[in-house]
Amino acid sequence: MPKILLVEDNEMNRDMLSRRLERKGFEVAMAFDGRQGVEMAKSDGYDLILMDMSLPEIDGWEATRQLRAEPKTQAVPIIALTAHAMAGDRERALEAGCDDYDTKPIELPRLLAKMESLLGKTE
Amino acid sequence: MSGPDGRGAALPPEAVSELRHDLRTPVNHIVGYAEMLLEDAGDGDQAGRAALEQTLVAARDVLTLINGTLSSGGVSVSQADIVALYTSLAEPQQRIVRALSPLLDADGNDEEFTADLRRILSAADKLVTRTPAASATVDGDADAVAEGAADGQARILVVDDVEDNRVLLERRLRRQGHAVESVDNGQVALEMAQTGSFDLILLDVLMPEMDGYEVLERLKQSPVTRHLPVIMISALDDLSSVVRCIERGAEDYLSKPFDPVLLRARITACLEKKRLRDREIEYLEQVRSVIDAASAVEAGSYAPGTLADTTGRNDELGRLARVFDRMASEVRAREDRLRNQVEDLRREIESAREGTASSAGQLDHANLPTSERFADRYEITAALGQGAMGAVYRARDLELEEEIAIKTLRPELVVDPMLIERFKTEIRLARRITHRNVVRTHDFGEWAGIYYLTMEYVEGMTVRQLIDGRGRLGVSATLAIASQLAQALEVAHGEGVIHRDIKPHNLLLDGDGVLKVMDFGIARLSEATMGITETGLSVGTPAYMSPEQLLAESDLDERSDLYAVGVVLYECLTGGLPFAAKSPMSLVAMMLSEEPTAPQEVNSEIPPALSGLILQLLAKQPERRLSSARELGERLAQLE
Repeated sequence: MPKILLVEDNEMNRDMLSRRLERKGFEVAMAFDGRQGVEMAKSDGYDLILMDMSLPEIDGWEATRQLRAEPKTQAVPIIALTAHAMAGDRERALEAGCDDYDTKPIELPRLLAKMESLLGKTE
Repeated sequence: MSGPDGRGAALPPEAVSELRHDLRTPVNHIVGYAEMLLEDAGDGDQAGRAALEQTLVAARDVLTLINGTLSSGGVSVSQADIVALYTSLAEPQQRIVRALSPLLDADGNDEEFTADLRRILSAADKLVTRTPAASATVDGDADAVAEGAADGQARILVVDDVEDNRVLLERRLRRQGHAVESVDNGQVALEMAQTGSFDLILLDVLMPEMDGYEVLERLKQSPVTRHLPVIMISALDDLSSVVRCIERGAEDYLSKPFDPVLLRARITACLEKKRLRDREIEYLEQVRSVIDAASAVEAGSYAPGTLADTTGRNDELGRLARVFDRMASEVRAREDRLRNQVEDLRREIESAREGTASSAGQLDHANLPTSERFADRYEITAALGQGAMGAVYRARDLELEEEIAIKTLRPELVVDPMLIERFKTEIRLARRITHRNVVRTHDFGEWAGIYYLTMEYVEGMTVRQLIDGRGRLGVSATLAIASQLAQALEVAHGEGVIHRDIKPHNLLLDGDGVLKVMDFGIARLSEATMGITETGLSVGTPAYMSPEQLLAESDLDERSDLYAVGVVLYECLTGGLPFAAKSPMSLVAMMLSEEPTAPQEVNSEIPPALSGLILQLLAKQPERRLSSARELGERLAQLE
């Protein structure tokens, strides 16, 4: 059962997405901000990280950079999530080290496809 | 969509981005929860499935509207576009509410289902509730009015390391009517705050280099910024962070993202508190200035107008300051007047000196030889004068090495031992009077059959000599004598001592114009010794005696001295006595039956008020005079 870390400050997003992923058979851990996300990713092993980009403390861009700089986490796939959906966000996310990018509102089948594809790669 | 058509200025991209984020987030919730509930709904629940599908359709319509206006492609957006977008979102939002409300009311729902439905409805509600970003960008509607200019503009410093946050806050605060400066770094913020030109600081907690906690701590340590209110802003809304800020002296705490109405309310409250505190501090400072002014008056260094800041106040303190300033100015004016009067008196003394060569030491009546030791202690250096009571000498106290005056009493005054005892009592009383305007009495003794008094030696002349030398004195010099005399009598009367023989011969003036009254208590002796029917009238000085004293009434009081002051002042100003008679008996008759000529009629330079005051002192009935020496002093002070 793949272990997913969901880094998301919005409570409703966390609740909704974690429940939906659990239904699909994922084990979901949650972090509330970027700093906590980085700490959890470093101390526990996750198969994939879903990273919201607008986060308090350390935002998603910076958290991703830090995870990529850390040997233990540099290979963990990260999917950036953003509700901004501005032109250039995708490029920025990939540049920061994300493996993929998705926008909110989440289209679950689309997100699941991206997750499956990344998880398949690492396995 | 905007720009040239005059529909308002284009919004900055970061505002558009924020708004986009704020609107897409609830759509995300609506879609996510609705899809989840749809997965759960059984095939039999047709109504439920239909409602959820309608919800998803409405959510996609919302997304289309958002994307249409807030394009991700960087097309510029105007304020009017935002207003139009919100208006258009109301329709799909209503569709969601209409679709889901019946499900909410249905029987047999489980708790989780109900909770998720409520989440969808609450997310839908956010689509039509203006977000902070929207409010900050939109003019001319209800929210903007609620957010409009605060009462009284303030100068606010925004400290946040994130540029977007700064821009947003700055813009919002300016819209509320404040003057705003922003800075991205705690150290610079501290320096700016030290200029003292801000009313409020909005301080971000999480900043690199120096975080908000430390900035706050330093602000509270500096006397300049200690009272400057600080509102902490942070995305952290955990309790410990809030507590940490409050403990370090933050006025308030706001979590990001702000609700504009809440932000405005908190800033207004904060500024109001500061205004009250500033007013209180100013009040206390001004109270302090009044207290300082009081000390300055006491020290004689008060400058009128010092309280100008405070006298302008409209309250009790302002009134106090005005009254105080007026009183202090009057006191000062009075002191100046008195100083000028004494100066005039001093000039008269100088002139009198030039006119009369000193005759001290040349007196025939001296019966103590000079240069001879008296009472084993005093060396007589000069004979100063001869009076009804005895002779006066200048001597050197060999024990204390100082100049003194010795007054011997004529032997016939001191024959009765009872009288001597009474005299001693009087001297004891008189010795209690210590005042710069009273000649100090040192000792009473007897040596080789001669009774004598030792007292302070005053280098100068008597008022008698002054009047004789000048003919009469000016108003100013007379007032200098009068006020000093009034002070001396006030103190003596306060000690229960009545002089009984105030006359120009008993009033000494030193070279600085300081008046010294001598012979307190001595007159009692002559009164007791000589009846008025005997030689008393020639021995005493009836011209200065009050009618009650002349009639030898037993219960004389201080008002008798005031009568004598009236005569002295009359003589100073006019050069003559109020009653001039050839014989003592006719003098008594005149004093008892006639009114004196008003001083002003004798000398037109005398102000009517002063003339009237002297006549009042000369009233035949004591109760028609002034009541006390203190009152005399006050009346004199009122004279210009």
